[in-house]
Amino acid sequence: MADVQALRTADPFSHLRLAAAPKPRSAWRLGLQGSEFTWAIAFIIPYAGLFVAFVAYPVLYGLWLGRDPALYFELMSEPIYQRTVVNTILYLGIGVNLKMFGALMMSGFFMRRGWWVKGLLLIYVLPWAVPALPSFISIHWMLNGQWGLINNAIWAFFGIDGPGWLETSRWLALGSVIASHIWKWMPFWTVILLAGRMAIPQELYEAAEMDGATGIKRFTHVSFPLLANLYLVCTLLSTLFTLGDFNSVYFVSGGGPALSTHVLATLGIRDAFEVARPELGVAVVMSALPLMIPLVILLMRKLHTTEVSL
Amino acid sequence: MTVALAEGRARRPNYRNRRRWQEAAALLFAVVVLIWTLTPIYNIIAVSLEAHGDVFTNDLFPAKPSLESFWVVITQGYWYLEFFWRQFENSLYIGLATVFFTLSIGSLASFAIGRMRIRYGWVVSNAALLTYVIPASFLAIPFYRIMGFYGLSNNLWSVIAAEVTFATPYAIFIFHQYGVSIPIELDEAARIDGASPAQVYFKIYLPLMAPALVAVGTYALLLAWNEYLYQFLLLSSKKSMTVPVALAQFLNSDEAPWNYMMATAIVYALPPVAIYYAFRGRMTAGLTMGGVKG
Amino acid sequence: MRNFSRRSLLRGSVSLAAASTLGCPYVANAAAKTATVWWVQGFVKEEDTSFNAMVADYEKASGNTIDHSLIPFGPMMQKIVSALTSGDVPDVMTHDIAEQAVVPQNAWNDRLIDISDVVETQKQHYHPTALLASAYYNNVAKKRSYYYAPYKTAVLPFHIWGSLVEQAGYKLSDAPKTWDAFWDFFKPMQQKLREKRRGFYALGLQPTTTGPADGNNTFHHFLIANGGNGIVTADGKGHTDDPQVKEAVIKSLAYITTAFKEGYVPPGALSWSDADDNNAFHSKQMLMDLDGTISTEVALFHKKEEYDDVVTMGLPLDNAGKPMTAQLGVTGAFIPKGANNVDVAKDFIKYVIQPKVSNEYLKNGLGRWLPAFPEVVKTDPFWLSGDKHVAPYAKEGVIDPTVTNYPAFNPGYAECNAQQIWGTAAAEVIRDGATPQAAAEKALARIGQILAKYPIAQS
Repeated sequence: MADVQALRTADPFSHLRLAAAPKPRSAWRLGLQGSEFTWAIAFIIPYAGLFVAFVAYPVLYGLWLGRDPALYFELMSEPIYQRTVVNTILYLGIGVNLKMFGALMMSGFFMRRGWWVKGLLLIYVLPWAVPALPSFISIHWMLNGQWGLINNAIWAFFGIDGPGWLETSRWLALGSVIASHIWKWMPFWTVILLAGRMAIPQELYEAAEMDGATGIKRFTHVSFPLLANLYLVCTLLSTLFTLGDFNSVYFVSGGGPALSTHVLATLGIRDAFEVARPELGVAVVMSALPLMIPLVILLMRKLHTTEVSL
Repeated sequence: MTVALAEGRARRPNYRNRRRWQEAAALLFAVVVLIWTLTPIYNIIAVSLEAHGDVFTNDLFPAKPSLESFWVVITQGYWYLEFFWRQFENSLYIGLATVFFTLSIGSLASFAIGRMRIRYGWVVSNAALLTYVIPASFLAIPFYRIMGFYGLSNNLWSVIAAEVTFATPYAIFIFHQYGVSIPIELDEAARIDGASPAQVYFKIYLPLMAPALVAVGTYALLLAWNEYLYQFLLLSSKKSMTVPVALAQFLNSDEAPWNYMMATAIVYALPPVAIYYAFRGRMTAGLTMGGVKG
Repeated sequence: MRNFSRRSLLRGSVSLAAASTLGCPYVANAAAKTATVWWVQGFVKEEDTSFNAMVADYEKASGNTIDHSLIPFGPMMQKIVSALTSGDVPDVMTHDIAEQAVVPQNAWNDRLIDISDVVETQKQHYHPTALLASAYYNNVAKKRSYYYAPYKTAVLPFHIWGSLVEQAGYKLSDAPKTWDAFWDFFKPMQQKLREKRRGFYALGLQPTTTGPADGNNTFHHFLIANGGNGIVTADGKGHTDDPQVKEAVIKSLAYITTAFKEGYVPPGALSWSDADDNNAFHSKQMLMDLDGTISTEVALFHKKEEYDDVVTMGLPLDNAGKPMTAQLGVTGAFIPKGANNVDVAKDFIKYVIQPKVSNEYLKNGLGRWLPAFPEVVKTDPFWLSGDKHVAPYAKEGVIDPTVTNYPAFNPGYAECNAQQIWGTAAAEVIRDGATPQAAAEKALARIGQILAKYPIAQS
């Protein structure tokens, strides 16, 4: 049996090799005995308490605030709301997938050897570590059509005026918001996928190389099948996180031009606080439930199936 | 590059050529990534170095760069920043408390669910996932209400509670996945020796979970450090607010010394960046989520 | 100020009625208590210092304690809405734009405490427009009453870079006296100034849909200049079918969107936030700007040269050649239902709205906000014959004709403002190529629909 000390000091990925080995049992034999059950209850109580006090209660309160069906009819007839739903779908569909695919590619890139790759990784994760608010405000200024850094650079290098990124076109503005979101969050997912890749035993690659799988083939036949599960789970999680992402849209485009780039998160806040109708804001949020619940169920099942075989 | 060349010398010429091309392409790609990553950060720095805090200029570089704004921030020399260090302390307090409670509540729960296999434990882990169904920004109003109800208005602990609430599900998730890799036999051996679950948790589970604890701790710290909505909603007085809320004060006015704002942002960003770099190695290990189980 | 309070205390003990006619009704409470106050933070440090001094004076005079939080403009709205929704409220709340955003709807829904007794104390002294903005319709009680105690007001003056006008070879004294012509006056300067400045624009016209105030305010001034002030009347009725209103809307939309399409307005103005126009103005990328309060100038207070270079101008005549009515923003305090200490809250507000107290408070805040009391402005030389920015600003706001913001008449208009209907209409013309006629009809129809949700019983 491995001793504790050895495990602790061993290389950080040894556990993954263990995980790849024949499935170990993870539950205690014979279940819980005597006072152990009390202990288990005691261990679970802090989280249960937190959940009841700070999740269940506010959620129920929120549902109660948005209980009037008339609110939903009002929303459906709003042109802004309809546009917002389209934006949200585009934001999630394009933003999340580009971000996750980019993260997958970047994680592959960072598997390369060399000091400069390591150095680049250090810089690459900066956006995740820098506070969101000043970053997005900085991007908002950068994208100013007349005086922003981007268009100044375009002018300096090409002598032409760049477009007004956030100012006239809905699609340009939405694209800018999506790009900002990717800028901020791709590093985080890259780090996670990178960890996943590093956990793939080197022997697998060597074996694959013997069979002639290199380059793209190596990716499609070795890396991706092993990463697929992780990738899917990450994508689902990221979709849920992104749905609640308020900062990117609020501080980069502010929902403009002409309220054309709102997403549900920002429209909810806008209706609640700017229009000063909190129940309408809650209704905007609740209307995202049909989209969210399937995602959560999918995520639970995905995690559950991986757990069953543990 | 030199490494690649040295490696390549022993191989066939066309293979060496291909390696060289690949390396060049990778470097080019790296430059693009650098520009992409650093442009917004460069803009933050450029504004912070502007003497007058003008954000709209036709120049790519600050005309007369000066470090004056950093000095103003450090010495609290502007009225929005008069309690800067106090607010920094608040942020730190909230950040550390969030890390502590996220780690302890999360690891206790995942120990009970994942290893002790308490009956209906899956209900708890699914409930944790459910927290994500309603995005944080939507719970804002209800949260404000219940904090008043719990007597925590304008209290740092209300923010800590909020941050812990949103960080813990992810913590349970990661701990659960990571815990799978720790052989259950260790627990059993300890049990046979008469260890109580608490002893197993402290002596075996926690030490072996170290990489995951570091990873989730960093995650929780960054979450609390970056979060804005709840902090401003739940804290109102200048002395109780945190740095992100103080930063938003700059947006309050029609005109603000943006150079001070960005200098504040840079000073504020230093701790998480430092922490991330310090724990980077272990963090990568801790975040694997056991995703390659296939 | 302390002396003043002691005197008023004396008077109060003699006769409250007598005191109120003298404008000094403030009476200290016998039993000291604490009230929680959410006050909106100033744009400059001096405003907050001034507020703290006022609170200290009040605490000394009354023996009560004011537990106050100075909350920034942006977050304040969210805090107020959260508090009113959840019922966990402070005793006194204020917001710079409360009369346009939260007070009308919450008075309608019976969520505010009637503070007629507070407002009555200064009724004779209030500027009539400010008084109009303090009464709101309660849909439960089915009547109008006072829910809002004004303590400061503001208008939108023009801010112009004097030196740039000269550089372009013009003199501001030559500026035409009517609205459209006044704007047109600056257009030719753009070309001249562009020789030296890339991306320079003449007009700070803001058809924006972002930010709470600027876009709507700009449009309303055009609307009024074109004779469309009757869109909502003091009885709370909308007149969106009135041909005169419709014509004014079309003319306003046409002027704004044409200036935009001709390239005199920074394209970004379509989605400017409240700070963006000031950013552009301060970095001299723009010649002039029509924007609320003299915060544009006050922000430069410590940069003497630039402060002196900006010219503040009141409004020209309207397009018919008659004196232009400016829209007066009115900031006041209100008490939510559920407040713990209504007595102290009322007492504190009574103290604050004494003309002299509020005058000191606003003067120390560099004059960014105007008193709600014409007498004070006329008698205190600070306002009309002091600073070169304050004087024209005070004249526009207090001496010249003003109208209150429409949401005071009908809470539906607050929703119209929040929906940014005017900015959206301008965007339709600019981006989607709609005619001003079509965009105007659509906007008016929408406003009509929203106002119809708030029927106001006439007494």
